[in-house]
Amino acid sequence: MRSNATDLTEIEQDALAEIANMGVSRAANSLRQMVGEQVFLSVPTVEIVTRQAASKLVERNNSKRLVAVQQTFEGPFCGKALLIFPEAQSLELVRSIVGYEHSLEDVIDLEQEALAETGNIILNGCLATIANMLHRTMRMSLPSIVRGDGATLFGNGASGEQYVLFLYIDFNIKKRDVGGFIALLMDLPSIAALKEIVNDYVNDIQRHLPSHVG
Amino acid sequence: MLDKATDLLVGPVFDAVDIGLVVLDSQQCIIGWNEWIARVSRRPAEDVLGKNLCDVFPDLRNTRLPAVIEDAFQAGSSSILTHTLNTLLPLQGDGGERLLHNIVVRPVFSAPAKYCLLQITDVTVAVIRERLLRERQNARYYAIVDSAPDAIITIDDSRKIRWVNGAVDDVLGYSHSELLEQKIDILLEPENVLLPILAKTNGREETRTAVSVVGRYRDGKTGHFDVSIGHWRADRRDFVTTIWRDVTERVIADAALRDARDALQQTNEELESRVEQRTRERETALRQLHESQKMESIGQLTGGVAHDFNNLLAVILGSLGLLKKAVPHDPRVSRFLDRAIQGAERGATLTTRLLAFARRQELKVELVTLQKLIPEMLDFLRHSVGPNIDIHTNISPDINAIEVDANQLELALINLAVNARDAMPEGGSLTITCHNEDDGKRIGTARDGFVCISVTDTGEGMNEETLAHAQEPFFTTKGVGKGTGLGLSMVHGFIAQSGGMMRLKSELGKGTTVTLRLPRARENPKAPIANIELSQLAKPKNLRVLLVDDDILVSMGAADMLLDLGHSVTEAQSGSHALRLLESDTPFDVVVTDYAMPGMNGFELAQRIKERNSRLPVILATGYAELPANRSIEFERLSKPYTAKDLAAALEKAANS
Repeated sequence: MRSNATDLTEIEQDALAEIANMGVSRAANSLRQMVGEQVFLSVPTVEIVTRQAASKLVERNNSKRLVAVQQTFEGPFCGKALLIFPEAQSLELVRSIVGYEHSLEDVIDLEQEALAETGNIILNGCLATIANMLHRTMRMSLPSIVRGDGATLFGNGASGEQYVLFLYIDFNIKKRDVGGFIALLMDLPSIAALKEIVNDYVNDIQRHLPSHVG
Repeated sequence: MLDKATDLLVGPVFDAVDIGLVVLDSQQCIIGWNEWIARVSRRPAEDVLGKNLCDVFPDLRNTRLPAVIEDAFQAGSSSILTHTLNTLLPLQGDGGERLLHNIVVRPVFSAPAKYCLLQITDVTVAVIRERLLRERQNARYYAIVDSAPDAIITIDDSRKIRWVNGAVDDVLGYSHSELLEQKIDILLEPENVLLPILAKTNGREETRTAVSVVGRYRDGKTGHFDVSIGHWRADRRDFVTTIWRDVTERVIADAALRDARDALQQTNEELESRVEQRTRERETALRQLHESQKMESIGQLTGGVAHDFNNLLAVILGSLGLLKKAVPHDPRVSRFLDRAIQGAERGATLTTRLLAFARRQELKVELVTLQKLIPEMLDFLRHSVGPNIDIHTNISPDINAIEVDANQLELALINLAVNARDAMPEGGSLTITCHNEDDGKRIGTARDGFVCISVTDTGEGMNEETLAHAQEPFFTTKGVGKGTGLGLSMVHGFIAQSGGMMRLKSELGKGTTVTLRLPRARENPKAPIANIELSQLAKPKNLRVLLVDDDILVSMGAADMLLDLGHSVTEAQSGSHALRLLESDTPFDVVVTDYAMPGMNGFELAQRIKERNSRLPVILATGYAELPANRSIEFERLSKPYTAKDLAAALEKAANS
């Protein structure tokens, strides 16, 4: 049963990726307005993993030093949303957003705020998209910055069975590529609720599909 | 509840907070506007309440604030808009300064109504404080770093250049902006020691000493650098600051110094070898000087000894001659006397040779043409050297005449030919060449105009030691009884006395060349001295002879000879004694005087006599040529040792002059 609850079918995966891409493209519009240049965001894959697996995945590329923008959300499903980068890449991201005319020290000064706002835009984009599709409102907190390894970000001592909806995200701003992750940390009921929403979405599409084919 | 809340919003607390609070309804119209925002926006509440936010501040339509507010209503999202990334409201402080602010947008749901709360936070003070703090902290740092003569380059952990000081232009040729964002690799050769050190991201492993690397200037040329490396960490990031000191000049200078040292060493070695060479030359010159001094000493000694022997031989020969006449004819006694006379004559020949070496022989100088002299003596030379040896001559037809004693020159050439023969026991060839040598400097003398006679053999030659002693008297390489050892020394003395020089050149196994150089004859040479034949002498008349000699033994011998010839003799032991006798009434027909005497010499005496009585003839008897060159001709001369016949001839000549 559990495996059913946490495993995503191929269709579910595709659907979630599509929803996430709608979310990040909404965020990309906001960033473009802010930066004044085209910003490309994309989510190539989606999966549901355990917290332990998620903390290994985020450390996979190189370092254990990560920086994350974190927001909590409440609504039809609740939990914690994280936008995660390797620390080395976050500075690159901030640089590409605030512009290269700034000195290194300015960028370091601005990093915290700029990262919080950028993360806020992206996470809001994803969560708002999901909320909009549900025609339900959610309550989302303000962003905060968390630094540390995978275990710190995903919490090792938390009670209850928690799962992570894990999305890879690619940024391309001013011809620079920055890779990161979006993680939605949720309990089992929330995962189930999300899956339900996804299935509704899939069904909705399938209902409309014959007419498109016909 | 909503009413209560609305009351609260517009109540004292709402206005008391020190941040800006704005409440919007779902139409984004302003329903709450606290005093703080009214003050800093210069827009009182009554001006803005009920109006759309974007109508009050039209520029907001270009920001993402309207969309964020929309999201807050639609999706319930909370957002933050920072001054860093957004230009927001036109807010001013009390002094009119622009306020930096962040805006937090939150949905406020109070069913069924929805509101949106904007919290505007002034961060001006914090931002300025941070900036000031940083500037103050950095001021001293930059004072040092920007005035540093070395290039200082800070890179991040991806080796990208994040910061450089002003010296990069001077040191590397790059401007400030050209280097930023580049990888530090562009300053380095592909293979270098620096990158592996930079890759040690662990800041604990600091490299204390500088690393020597070959760096690349902007123009592509390479140079030598000492790079100091410092790892540091800020805001959880690793940086490496590198300090580049250009040591190219030093490296080049070091290389130049090494080259200079090598050159100096080489120069030293050359100098040493030159000093060695000069020392050798000096030793050679000293040896030559020593040699010539030795020859001079030997000459003096030989001349002196020969002179004294001459006197003694004169006495012996004179006495023997008289004795032979005096004793009755007895074959046995005659044989003894003849043997004694032969021995004394051989002694006289020997002293003549010694005098020749000592340059004190009597030379009969005449004008000699070698074109004539040498061909004439070739037969005799061929006879002397024997049939095994070919004689070649090479005599230049325009050769100058020389002033020399022809007999002595012939004797010298015979001597050289005999030496050559002895050096060629298996046979060979002898070459005589004659040519003019106009440039005296070439042969190391200031005088010009020499005639050069070379005698070359193809014999066994001489080694260096033999060559060194070859001109010394009594030095011989020939077997006992074969040579006198006087040949070359005689030639040498004769040539030197004639104003020329002799050179020997020899190489062991290849042969010897003897070169004689004699001065060319002057334009108006003296007339050759007539060789008077004295064989047919008339019967002499009786003469009154004043005989002057400091050597009593010689004087006695000569007196006996004169008496024997039928003359009368008065003896004087010195010049002054002779003058006193001349002052007396005793008449004299002729004066015979020795030359070498203490006090007044023979020549001086002859001159005094001439002054007093120019008609009285004087005969000078000399053992060697000590007479002043030009005046000797004024008086008749008699070579010692002389025989009775010589004496008679001289008296005859003097009496008839």
